[in-house]
Amino acid sequence: MATVQSDQLLTQFQPNEITPELARKRRSQFRIIFDRFTRNKVAVAGFVVLAVLLVAAVFAPIITGQTSTYDPPNDPNLSIALSGPIPGHPLGTDDLGRDELARMLFGGRVSLAVGILTALLTILIAVTVGSLAGYYGGWVDMVMMRVTDAFLSVPLLVVLFVLARTFSDGSVPSIVILIAAFEWPSVARVVRGEFLGLKEREFLLAARTLGANDLRLMVRHILPNAAGPIIVAATLVVGDAIITESVLSFFSFGVRPPTSSWGSMLNNSRDFISSDPLLLYLPGIAILITVLCFNLMGDGLRDALDPYMTER
Amino acid sequence: MTLPAATTARASATGAHLSIEDLVMHFPITQGIFIQRQIGAVRAVDGVSLSVKHGETLGLVGESGSGKSTIGRCLVRLYKPTSGHMYFGDQDLAEAEGQQLRMVRRRIQMVFQDPYASLNPRFTVGSLISEPMAIQRTASRAEIHTKTEELLERVGLNRRFIDRYPHEFSGGQRQRIAIARAISIEPEFIVADEPVSALDVSIRAQIINLMQRLQEQMGLTYLFISHDLSVVRHVAPRVAVMYLGKIMEIADRGDIYNEPLHPYTAALLSAVPVPNPRVEKQRKRIILKGDLPSPINIPSGCRFHTRCPLAQEICRQVEPPLEDKTGRSHFAACHFSDQVGPLTRTGSVQGLGTI
Repeated sequence: MATVQSDQLLTQFQPNEITPELARKRRSQFRIIFDRFTRNKVAVAGFVVLAVLLVAAVFAPIITGQTSTYDPPNDPNLSIALSGPIPGHPLGTDDLGRDELARMLFGGRVSLAVGILTALLTILIAVTVGSLAGYYGGWVDMVMMRVTDAFLSVPLLVVLFVLARTFSDGSVPSIVILIAAFEWPSVARVVRGEFLGLKEREFLLAARTLGANDLRLMVRHILPNAAGPIIVAATLVVGDAIITESVLSFFSFGVRPPTSSWGSMLNNSRDFISSDPLLLYLPGIAILITVLCFNLMGDGLRDALDPYMTER
Repeated sequence: MTLPAATTARASATGAHLSIEDLVMHFPITQGIFIQRQIGAVRAVDGVSLSVKHGETLGLVGESGSGKSTIGRCLVRLYKPTSGHMYFGDQDLAEAEGQQLRMVRRRIQMVFQDPYASLNPRFTVGSLISEPMAIQRTASRAEIHTKTEELLERVGLNRRFIDRYPHEFSGGQRQRIAIARAISIEPEFIVADEPVSALDVSIRAQIINLMQRLQEQMGLTYLFISHDLSVVRHVAPRVAVMYLGKIMEIADRGDIYNEPLHPYTAALLSAVPVPNPRVEKQRKRIILKGDLPSPINIPSGCRFHTRCPLAQEICRQVEPPLEDKTGRSHFAACHFSDQVGPLTRTGSVQGLGTI
């Protein structure tokens, strides 16, 4: 029999040699993920730029000396309307002579809040619906996906306008709920697809034989494996929400003047494209940078959460 | 040992650790989008009875699609059997639900075939091994860490591997992790579903020896499922051969390998290469005709008659019972088991058994 021979093999094989790599210090899960994230320089850059934007938006009242939360960054002053950068107004003024920097910072509060909060709310709804539908299948899946289809088939803007008029008071929370209500279905489909594929995997069967309950299987086993696509979807929602808010503002269904948002500023600027292009570029570039940085950061986060990426 | 349905007795009464009685697992095939109608069934397990003694290993062999893995999955209740009983101690696994099922899962664990698929890639080795203890609450938080390190060493891995991810390990090492996970809650019974089939030949002996050592140390009972006859011969003193959802032959190791009484067993044995060119040249191989029939449409009579070299008219009509042919609990389900000997007389099974 092979016993003798293979026992020798076993003793030879005792994997006790520690290569320098293996001997490295014990690190916490969070630390491992953090290290992997910081190795991705582009993602870190995205994170830093976003952090700067967020800090500027949060501390807008201090930076500009205005105290209100969203409302009139400063009073109109038609005598300096549409001026370029002048002392006291480093980014110039808008068509009513209001300080463009203050409007950008306060507008950033609205836009970033709408973007981030919408993404969070969307993910919350989408993960709940998608995971239940994908995990349980059958009629649960059937009902939930038909509801999702119904939302997807509605002409988005028309319904948004109607709802904005009847339901929204132009405040940030109401806009967030409104946009999230139409963003979740596509993300829910992504989540459902991931759950459908992952629930048949053998490691899930293995966990089930241990006595793990449905909640544990969904939250601890499937969700982390579906994290990549969900994070990417979330970063896309941020950009989408900021742009949707600007569309709403354009048709005066979004935040109401004199409150500014990057979207509403962008739309106000269209009359002055040739005379004062700065009014167009400032909010446009701010939206571009924000969406781009969220995507870069999302990619980095996805990779950092993926254990297979350790070696890179 | 198979028990006729008439003498159905609890496993504990017969001294067996696990006693499966007339187990049936049919997977329905449905059609229709809104109203689902059943149009047939995959008869993966079609009336299987067998029992395993305490601390023993029963080998279960058969080709792909024979239903051997389905039996394993029924035992750990990944599937709820269509009918039949699985007595484990005085508990019927087929009936256990809810809290009872959870308790039973602590006593019966499974090692899967593919250690690349059965370990969650997002879990570290430490959380993989400690998960059973956390779910079943067999140890406190503080104890779990030390126990996990002990388990790693017990299966021949370094305790510093605790923070690594499964993809950083070789197949053999991963299977060690899977085994550590299975034994972490000190089960009594382990269903090993082809535990070495996905591994490199050079690693197989190590894993098998590890499993045998653990069996001695912990008094484990194994159901060892495999399609590899030489591996089963090495690990299992008693072997059952399955074909298309039914047991064809079940006997002690020596009997089944030296004097198979079912043509299917004989054919399987003759397909195993013998590492001796002189024997290999002389022996006669039994080549089976055709493919494994579909388990949706199982042949009438003896389900093996479509491929059997001994098949007669009676085989097409009457299903042979699984009965003791020699008085030494050598069961075979064949009308012509006395003719299987001549079929293999050319020494086909000698020299077999090295891994």
